[in-house]
Amino acid sequence: MSHSTPPELLVLHTLRCMGAASLPRVAAAAGLTPSDVESELIDLAVAGLTTTVPGEFGGWRLTDAGRVADAERIADELAAAGTRATVERAFEGFLVLNPELLDLCTAWQLRSVDGVVTANDHRDAAYDAKVLALFEDMDRRLDHVCADLSAAMRRFHRYRVRLADALQRARAGEREYLCDDLDSYHSVWFQLHEDLLATLGIPRR
Amino acid sequence: MRWIHPLSGEAPPELIGGKAHGLIVLRRLGLSVPPGFVVGTAAGRAFHRYGRLPDGLGDELAAAVAELETATGRRLGGPERPLVVSVRSGAAVPMPGMMATILNLGLTAAATDGLARETGDRAFADDARRRFLAGFEEATAGQGAPDDAYRQLELAVAAVFASWDAPRARRYRELHDIPHDLGTAVVVQAMVFGNRDEHSAAGVAFSRDPTTGEPVPFGEVLFGHQGDDVVSGRSLTRPLRDLSGREPAAGAVLVEALNRLERHYRDASYVEFTVECGRLWLLQARPGRFAGPAAVRVATDLVDEGLIGRDEALLRVSPRHLGAAVRRIDAADLLARGTGASPGVASGRVATSSEAAVRMAAHGPVILVRPETSPLDLPGLAAAVGVLTARGGPASHAAIVARSMGRPAVVGVADLTVDNGRMYLGGRSIEDGTVITIDGTGGEVALGAVATVSVANDERRERLLAWADEVVDELADELAGPGEQRSDPDRLRAAQDVLRNASGDRFERP
Repeated sequence: MSHSTPPELLVLHTLRCMGAASLPRVAAAAGLTPSDVESELIDLAVAGLTTTVPGEFGGWRLTDAGRVADAERIADELAAAGTRATVERAFEGFLVLNPELLDLCTAWQLRSVDGVVTANDHRDAAYDAKVLALFEDMDRRLDHVCADLSAAMRRFHRYRVRLADALQRARAGEREYLCDDLDSYHSVWFQLHEDLLATLGIPRR
Repeated sequence: MRWIHPLSGEAPPELIGGKAHGLIVLRRLGLSVPPGFVVGTAAGRAFHRYGRLPDGLGDELAAAVAELETATGRRLGGPERPLVVSVRSGAAVPMPGMMATILNLGLTAAATDGLARETGDRAFADDARRRFLAGFEEATAGQGAPDDAYRQLELAVAAVFASWDAPRARRYRELHDIPHDLGTAVVVQAMVFGNRDEHSAAGVAFSRDPTTGEPVPFGEVLFGHQGDDVVSGRSLTRPLRDLSGREPAAGAVLVEALNRLERHYRDASYVEFTVECGRLWLLQARPGRFAGPAAVRVATDLVDEGLIGRDEALLRVSPRHLGAAVRRIDAADLLARGTGASPGVASGRVATSSEAAVRMAAHGPVILVRPETSPLDLPGLAAAVGVLTARGGPASHAAIVARSMGRPAVVGVADLTVDNGRMYLGGRSIEDGTVITIDGTGGEVALGAVATVSVANDERRERLLAWADEVVDELADELAGPGEQRSDPDRLRAAQDVLRNASGDRFERP
């Protein structure tokens, strides 16, 4: 049984990796009920670790103190679980696939028409199907990375669920779930990338 | 020779790859190309069949190197006047950036000493060797380079062949319907060094402006650097006109080369070049394929210049490129240039953090400026009208997110740094709140709210469409309907259908 993150840290860290998000999106990402997440967020806010930003682009986010606290707690958690080597190996596997994912998102958004790169207008169903099939093929090769991560730390399993969900929706015709939605495959991947860096304490370059 | 071909003659791209084919065109036009040879695609296919270089290739390599040594008066791995070569991929169909390239090969420890003595520039020689070792290691998945120049060459050729089958390259072919069994060729040429001295440079150039189609050379140049620095965006390039300012002779040769290539291709042309000690060398050439208004302008201008006929002009423009005008910034003085990653022009106040962007967006448009983006920047990106980053390319997280939100983006601005509510760029310190303008098509950054110009080439488009209607009226058995009632792309499409049917695809471009 891999290490299970307590709800308070799970909410704090989920928000850390999402950047800023509404309560329902934090709940969906963390796999908790909105009411549980709300009470954690309020407790965290009282402790000065989270805050809400008003306005159209607002939502819940971490304070500077919250980011410091998250970095400490998530490092302690990894040390306590004793699974750093597994997470590092998984991160290496992730980095092999990362350029491929970025290429595929680019191929989904842009394509070469008569030798010139232009926006993909999604009128060529055969091309879109080909890109989607390549996403699915890559997603299968992500399995062992996800399995390693879930074994190291249970909270990582949420990424496998969310990525599979985004791909399923794209397959069912909701095309924006590949790269063009807040909960798209690319967005979840981007958060996983951020999570791995945060968990291992690696600064972005 | 069975596997190796000279950089001359009539061999088709299927056999020697598109890059070597372009080099032969350049030489035939009397332009300076570093001497070399090409290991053909047949050897590449054999490599993939047997997992090693084919029998007999070793002997041919030795003979080809000996010939190159004679031509250059240098010796591969030699302690005096060493021959240093580049080893590059080149498939029949271009696959830009997908395969391995190894520069400065042959710089063993002894050869590096030789190069240092020959040039009297120890730092240059050491830098060249450092780049070679790093490039070799990257191309061979971590293998260190042996201190035997000939062995380096064999391993490098094998590494380029192997890179044809890298997952990224395979995926690129699947997306672009390129067969996996085509294989790549390997071009081996004597190195020319853009980082040799203050009269050296590397760059890329189009014969016409790829955004507007205007008949003036357009491109970028980087003084004192090797070509890979230009393409990687690691360094700040200068506009092409700076070449003529600093190295007028090389600049004049370049313009002449672009003109000769235009007449050969009967199209806009594109080259990659290096200037070594004031002398210009061409490293790659192809027709410059343009989109949108530029495609329309080039096609109609080429008719006026007598290089192509009206029918061919009609077939050169994709109906999909007829559409919208492109907006570009109209600034003589650019602050910087990066990679355009999401098209469009945006002006706004600089915000160097996501929080600042969200806060400032309530009072007017902002441009989010970041070293690179993380998910933490998403609220700022959503709040901003455009994004500017120091790192990343067209396939970076920042570029993907910007495109998904329809925000103009310039990425990979090499000398941009962000610190404590300021950005540092082009030797200036720019405070949050200062207005800048970015152009996500051309990758330009300018200070202030710069005016934009609309590049529509409307008059030329009307001319082209009038030709299209004429073709349909003259040749079509049954009319698709009066021209005025059809959309512009449909008018062009109808003419193309008529021409293609009439010619049996005689006009289809290669």
